[in-house]
Amino acid sequence: MTKFLSALALAAFGFCHAHAEDVSSIPAPAAPGPATGLADSAALRATVFGTPPQDIAPLPAKVPLLEMDLDLPWRRPIPAVFWFDKRLRVWLSAQDKPAPLAIVISGTGSDGNTAKLATLRAVLYGAGYHVLTMPSPTFPGFIVSTSSTGVAGDLRQDGQDLYAAIGVIIAHLPHKVKITDIDVLGYSLGGANAAIVKAIDAKEHKLNIHRAVMINPPVSLFATVGRLDKLFARTLGNGDAGIERFYQQLYAELANLYRASDRVELDEDFLLGAAASALKTDAQFSAAIALTFRIALMNVFFAGDLYSGAGVVVDPRHPPGVGDSLDEISRTLRTKTFGEYFSRIFAPYYLKRRPNSTVDSLIADNRLELIEDQLRTDGDYYAQTNSDDLILDKAELGWLRTTLGQRIVVYDHGGHLGNLGDRQQVADMLAMLAGRWPGGAQ
Amino acid sequence: MRRSRLEWLCVAAGAVLGLGGCAAQTVEFHHLPPDTPAASNAADIAKMQRLAASAAQAQKAQTQPAGEQAPAAEAPPPVTAAEAPSMKTYDPWGRLNRFTYRFNARFDEALFLPVANSYRRLPSPMRSGVHNFFANIAEIDSVINYTLQGRLGRMVRSLGRFVINSTIGIGGLFDPASKMRLPKAPTGFGTTLAKYGMHPGPYLVIPFYGPSSLREGIGLAADYGTLYVIDPAWTYRGDQSWGLGVLNAVDQRSNIDFRYYASGSPFEYETIQFLYIRKELIEDAGLHRQKRLPRADPNVPAGE
Repeated sequence: MTKFLSALALAAFGFCHAHAEDVSSIPAPAAPGPATGLADSAALRATVFGTPPQDIAPLPAKVPLLEMDLDLPWRRPIPAVFWFDKRLRVWLSAQDKPAPLAIVISGTGSDGNTAKLATLRAVLYGAGYHVLTMPSPTFPGFIVSTSSTGVAGDLRQDGQDLYAAIGVIIAHLPHKVKITDIDVLGYSLGGANAAIVKAIDAKEHKLNIHRAVMINPPVSLFATVGRLDKLFARTLGNGDAGIERFYQQLYAELANLYRASDRVELDEDFLLGAAASALKTDAQFSAAIALTFRIALMNVFFAGDLYSGAGVVVDPRHPPGVGDSLDEISRTLRTKTFGEYFSRIFAPYYLKRRPNSTVDSLIADNRLELIEDQLRTDGDYYAQTNSDDLILDKAELGWLRTTLGQRIVVYDHGGHLGNLGDRQQVADMLAMLAGRWPGGAQ
Repeated sequence: MRRSRLEWLCVAAGAVLGLGGCAAQTVEFHHLPPDTPAASNAADIAKMQRLAASAAQAQKAQTQPAGEQAPAAEAPPPVTAAEAPSMKTYDPWGRLNRFTYRFNARFDEALFLPVANSYRRLPSPMRSGVHNFFANIAEIDSVINYTLQGRLGRMVRSLGRFVINSTIGIGGLFDPASKMRLPKAPTGFGTTLAKYGMHPGPYLVIPFYGPSSLREGIGLAADYGTLYVIDPAWTYRGDQSWGLGVLNAVDQRSNIDFRYYASGSPFEYETIQFLYIRKELIEDAGLHRQKRLPRADPNVPAGE
């Protein structure tokens, strides 16, 4: 495996040099609109703190949980530093009678067992579905175990990898699980992934996916992440100095809160309370949001660099080993933007592999317009979003409305996912999935 | 006798880890304890209410007239951003630590976590009895260390808890002291060392145990030594102590909501190292709340 990796790395490094000129000339995608999209102050707050627990829809007392680790036949050789990500891990909550299967896909950078997925799993299981929760194709565990490229973030490629993985998972479900129908859902980037998966299935007919529900989906991936770059630069500054300053302020704030408390240990309860009092201004909320996405990007960037051999942060001739320190690499990575990921890793990789593609066509391929016809004409696509979602701008929200017509519901408040799991969102989602939504296919 | 058991345990652990590493099927199933969403949500609501109440209380204390406030001399000097330690962490034993971290991850995945998950299927009252029992024994160590730290109020609280829980709480199986507004506040020798000015020192990953620092490592050994000498309720010496030690470890693991490499990230080691040392340093700042912290040198890694 090491031999293969070295060969791959050398070849890729050669490529990187040969194309150095082209690569540096690829511009970061444009990000129109304000850095916080449609979000106002309340929306930023809701995005950070999520749905208040008292607003969550009724939940069942018990939900069974089965973890499935899958070794996929097309898995690429595992780089040494990713030794723990060999298998795709998904979670199944099965009914003990025949039932429809709801497949739920996670948001940017997240695994298949987040708190948001746990909420969706609970309400769907309570409504009588078998529930399968899956990681985002941008989760490092997915990139390593399932991606056929290692360069995540391409809607079509990620959709195909997801679709193939779902096929294997369904073939290996425990025998007692009887499926009557299949629906797909996802939140944030996972919403877009879910819609693409259904569109792929409409061509290939391997799974016969019935309905798709997108919860707070992006419309244009690269416009959204471009805005997140802007948000990061505005709230934390460029380079390492801004991150260092934010860390120092946060450290001082936490130390003072801790000193003022009479606790003997810095535990989760303290941190929850501290977050509520340390995060108050729009700038602080924005910084927290920007930082969350930056941390997700670090993994995507690192894996993409390693697999494509671009050599931006990892020397492809000397990839880090299991016991090697990644301190330096992580310090470099935290200053890297989505724009750099696009221009130095993503675009060079896909431009080389897709004949006739251009930078503009790559950006266009990463918009939901990719499946505009299906979204417009197939009555089984649905969406739920908020009029103050920070990952959308006015034009994008308008496009969603005109394309989906009656099959989209837009709530007034909630920011990005700040109302996921609340009573209204859940009731509407279940109505959409059951074909009870006005305007949808019956 | 003891050594032979230890050897047996190591061989068994090695076999399990080896087998775990060799398994190669397309799919592997792990049955997890069921989620309890309704109860978790109720707990979250209660937690939010508690937080809101304590925030309101803090607000009230702030708005009280100046005369009723504590004398200014007692107010700790605020920590400033310039006193925040470097973002680098002192980790001279990094290579060994990474190896140990990886070993711990494999051990946890193959043996420790599955056992803890099975244990979590036992009825909750039984598990909380076990948890309370061991926490009550640890109270002895807290009494000793609060005394060494010169924090007599807290020492009395721990002693009170121990007496109440050992008697009314039937040998520590129940925790009536918490209901009498004597909440648990454990301490140990590591905190005593911190109180006397010892720095965390190098980051240290302890086999089977997890993230720590040299200071906390010494503290843990001393805590264990103290209880070994006292041997409360025959839990630390004799043949039965092996079983009880394992039960204690399984109980602790079943109460920690952490899964190795659930992050999927190759930077998990760096992240935990970073957070762990900052947590210790903030706790230190709390221990020395009357002192102004020295201005941090960005070139000196945190913990040194």
